[in-house]
Amino acid sequence: MKRTFAQSLALYATVIFTLLMILFPVYWLVVTALSTTNELYRLPPTFWPTDPQWDIFARVWAAKPILMWLWNSMLAAVGSVALSMLVSVSAGYALSRYSMRGGATMGLFVLTAKMLPATLLVIPLFSIFSSFGLIGSLWTLVLAHSTMIIPFATWMLKGYFDTIPKELEQAAMVDGCSPIGAMVRVVLPIATPGLAATALYAFVLSWADYAYARTFLVNSPDNWTANLGITTMQGEYVTYWNDISAASVFIALPIIAIYLFLERYLVGGLTAGAEK
Amino acid sequence: MTDTVQAGRRKFFDLARPSRQHLLGYILIAPAVLMVAAIIVWPLILAIDLSFQQVKIPRLGGASRPFSLSNYTWLFSSQEFWLACWVTLKLVVVVTAGSVAVGLSTALLVNNKFKGRTVARLGMALPWAVPEIIAVVIFAWMFDTSFGLFGWLAIQLGFADQMIPWVSSSTAAFWAVAITMVWKGFPFVSIMCLAGLQSIPSDYYAAAKVDGASVFQRFRWITMPLLMPVLGVTLVLTLLWVFRDFSIIKVLTGGGPLRSTQTLSIMTYDQAFQYHNFGRAAAVGVLTLVICIIASLLMLGRRSKSIY
Repeated sequence: MKRTFAQSLALYATVIFTLLMILFPVYWLVVTALSTTNELYRLPPTFWPTDPQWDIFARVWAAKPILMWLWNSMLAAVGSVALSMLVSVSAGYALSRYSMRGGATMGLFVLTAKMLPATLLVIPLFSIFSSFGLIGSLWTLVLAHSTMIIPFATWMLKGYFDTIPKELEQAAMVDGCSPIGAMVRVVLPIATPGLAATALYAFVLSWADYAYARTFLVNSPDNWTANLGITTMQGEYVTYWNDISAASVFIALPIIAIYLFLERYLVGGLTAGAEK
Repeated sequence: MTDTVQAGRRKFFDLARPSRQHLLGYILIAPAVLMVAAIIVWPLILAIDLSFQQVKIPRLGGASRPFSLSNYTWLFSSQEFWLACWVTLKLVVVVTAGSVAVGLSTALLVNNKFKGRTVARLGMALPWAVPEIIAVVIFAWMFDTSFGLFGWLAIQLGFADQMIPWVSSSTAAFWAVAITMVWKGFPFVSIMCLAGLQSIPSDYYAAAKVDGASVFQRFRWITMPLLMPVLGVTLVLTLLWVFRDFSIIKVLTGGGPLRSTQTLSIMTYDQAFQYHNFGRAAAVGVLTLVICIIASLLMLGRRSKSIY
């Protein structure tokens, strides 16, 4: 299908206009970080600061324990992803390869787990964690984030395993491999892209959490995650918008980087479950 | 005789034997089932149990209070609960409709063939990668009552004659939350729709063109019917997300002013951790879950399996 020049022009104009609209908030975050306080509190707003304050990033990095917040977010995410993947990989494999009684029930359960509001689950988890003396520890997040990750990861991985032909393992077993050996040595290596996509998506889920971190960790500043730390910079009366914007850039960057590098896999992972 | 018995015993532990294979399946799935039982099912049972007790702050292992329906009777007779239901319904409808409209149109746009399409696709879905809290920081500043960009724009475009009090006006606060959520929510719809669009064979369009179908007819009679399954699932997932979202509303407005942005999720959380009425909070949460389940079953019907 050939487009006329006018049609091409209209298409490009629409694409560029839409992109500008969508990405404007992200641009505005950077502009806000780089503006001086005087420029921020002035109308009409300044669309590019006359004297960009590049040193704001160094100043905020020094003034707030951003590295520590990022590190805590990282620990919680790595912990919950590792724990969830450990149980989800074998469960997803079992659901894909063996017909078991209760398989359909499992499916229904995953459906329900996806609808479970975090604000409901956080209530019993709070009393469980406090009776185990875990409140204030990052372990609470590892466990709480696993409640979000395990159901979807199991199902997403089952989908990936379904796409790998059974004949591969049968061939391996004919050659003398045990069923577990066939899974570990033959299927898992082939499923690596799927495993990576699931783990990354789970990582993003954990990184985005605020409800659990706020409830379990609010009184232990040393264990604050990035999202929790950011919200404490929002003052009750005065908020230093350039400081909080600069800190936000640090916290958004890791996830945006993951997204840009691995968009293909993430998209594959997101849509894998729905197209079935 | 002894040989056969021994052979039989050895085989009992031989997981490769076809009749034992299902056993291996159960062994592989056991850790996940145990984990889920410990961190999802047990807490959920505790929460349901809690919702039937008149309890302020529960202690695990403490004496359980007698069974009582008081939390639910309080809920159904309180204005707060019905207001929260109404706010949730409004927000779900507005945000889902907005996300689907923007998501579907951006997906259709980048489904065209043009140079730089890959970059455009990356850009369109970028808000998906911005953590919710950061999105709130951005929009909270743009919705600032004194120096926010949106207030200034509204004046320039003639929608308002002075800065809009986004925080203290109920209507403005609701729209601030809705706009933030649409910005954060539409990329998911866009990603899913784009995947759906790409699975439609281009022959269909070619054939329709030969038959003289216009652009709109092709959209109406080819794109829409073939996109419907994906769109349906996406719609329900978006709806569930709005239903259960906590962080955007909590950090942007805190549910105020005058509870005008207090959804069922926010009410659940505040009842527990602000007013320390864990029993009531559990009751709101359980009802939210029931509404979610009923709503998605109604919308998806027998196709509900595809949501897995």
